[in-house]
Amino acid sequence: MSGMVEVNEELIKRLERLSLIKLTPEERERMIREVKAVLDFFDKINSLDLSNVEPLFHPLAESRLREDSPITGLTQEEALLNAPRKENGFIVGPRIYSGDQS
Amino acid sequence: MDPESYVGAYYERIERREAKVRAFITLRPMDEVIEEAKRSVERLRSGRHGRLEGILIAVKDNISTMGIRTTCGSKMLETYVPPFDATVIERIKREGGIIVGKTNMDEFAMGTTTETSYFGPTRNPWDLSRTPGGSSGGSGAALAAHFAELALGSDTGGSIRSPAAYNAVLGLKPSYGTVSRYGLIAYANSLEQIGPMARNANDLEVLYSVIAGPDERDATTVSAVLEKKEVRLNGLRLGVLDDMMEVSEKPVKSVVNDVLNKLSSEGSELKEVKLGYLDYALPAYYIIAMSEASSNLARYDGVRYGYSSGEEGLWTDVYSINRGAGFGWEVKRRIMLGSFMLSAGYYEMYYIKALKIRRLIYDNIASILKSVDLILSPTMPILPPKIGDVINDPIRLFAMDVNTVVANLAGVPAISVPAGFHNGLPVGLQAMGPYLSDYSLISFARELEKITGYRDLTAPE
Repeated sequence: MSGMVEVNEELIKRLERLSLIKLTPEERERMIREVKAVLDFFDKINSLDLSNVEPLFHPLAESRLREDSPITGLTQEEALLNAPRKENGFIVGPRIYSGDQS
Repeated sequence: MDPESYVGAYYERIERREAKVRAFITLRPMDEVIEEAKRSVERLRSGRHGRLEGILIAVKDNISTMGIRTTCGSKMLETYVPPFDATVIERIKREGGIIVGKTNMDEFAMGTTTETSYFGPTRNPWDLSRTPGGSSGGSGAALAAHFAELALGSDTGGSIRSPAAYNAVLGLKPSYGTVSRYGLIAYANSLEQIGPMARNANDLEVLYSVIAGPDERDATTVSAVLEKKEVRLNGLRLGVLDDMMEVSEKPVKSVVNDVLNKLSSEGSELKEVKLGYLDYALPAYYIIAMSEASSNLARYDGVRYGYSSGEEGLWTDVYSINRGAGFGWEVKRRIMLGSFMLSAGYYEMYYIKALKIRRLIYDNIASILKSVDLILSPTMPILPPKIGDVINDPIRLFAMDVNTVVANLAGVPAISVPAGFHNGLPVGLQAMGPYLSDYSLISFARELEKITGYRDLTAPE
């Protein structure tokens, strides 16, 4: 795949859907310019031949697991402290389905 | 020791300068801090006290403090109060440390100048028209203005070392895995560490020894015991990074060269080394950081916590509105770029390539450290910029991190120590060492302090 990506309104709108961030039309214009500039800056990595190199996902070779025994977590009250909308010990969330689907 | 006048001295300085410096997002009320200081005095009298007993500590606002608002410098968490303490906070409290306030930072740690904070920028106490570095700028400024004795920061690509350099204080990005990230509000997990900041090497060492150590609640902490080694400057093999000196501006090079000459006179063996791939380190770092950030910040939807616009509707719309309004520009840009680079069709092209460059840098650092004990360079390539100068140019902003991202990519420890001043502006020297050589870096800092005299520096008012 060549290094040049088409950075346009369509791409930014797709990224808005992927990241669940709604931009205003002005923000979208600015985002197109800046994403293009940043990707241009990143493009130099394509000049390296990395075919024989293994990716390094993490500086540590391995991590540890702890004992599978329960520890105390937050109480219900603590867990709900910062929720903007609560009802009877539940967190109220937005609609999951569009339209009338019962 | 009288707790009222002891605590009062700090609050007097805060009273005089904080309106201009703006190091804190949340400052604790003085009477609360005095109460804690009274308990410390009792413990000191009884002879049974902690290693940080009564010491006032400023904590970066991305570290969870139970009952004290923790905002990450963002509107998204403007009213968030954690119901728990981060592990490092638990450890500090256990040793009698007292939290004086939560410090200003770039929003979600994304930045190098503390200018992306929702609460406005912090100003450098050495020159109020300039930035204090970032993203732990508030912590650095708090130490330079002597608002606190110790501070905590976090470092993903240089965020402890940049404010350390720009405020003439010390800051350590620890070896990855030596300090628990439990309670650190995540930006990029494979890169970041909480680390100590202090006004001198002895203080830095005590704070590090308190916060470091394995933690069951962070599976990426290591159980290796760190050796406490005393370093002697005479005969010490120091590799000076040629490529990093190259990209640094003249006044910075000049101050750093002066320190290198001092080290030489003490008998250290200096040699020029080259990292290679330095050009690729910045893109690799930003690709990895943005990709991890897009995942870590997906949790902010305004439902369980965080900013909620109050809009009703389908979840995708509600989340998008909350996130669009709650996040600042830099954060939105990094999340969107990160989502892009992890998406199908681009994952190999960007993310995987960046991880391969990471491998090359990791290997090169390890290779250089076979022939030298420490790797030296300027911490920052430029003097502290004026506020407003770099923030609107993303590429110029990225370029400030060129010397610091390498240590995060490789996981090795890196320290910034005061090297000197140019026209009253602080310049830092960075030292990197082998993985787990954190105490050796601190010891090197202590020996350097002895010959430069740069310790406990307070910016003039």
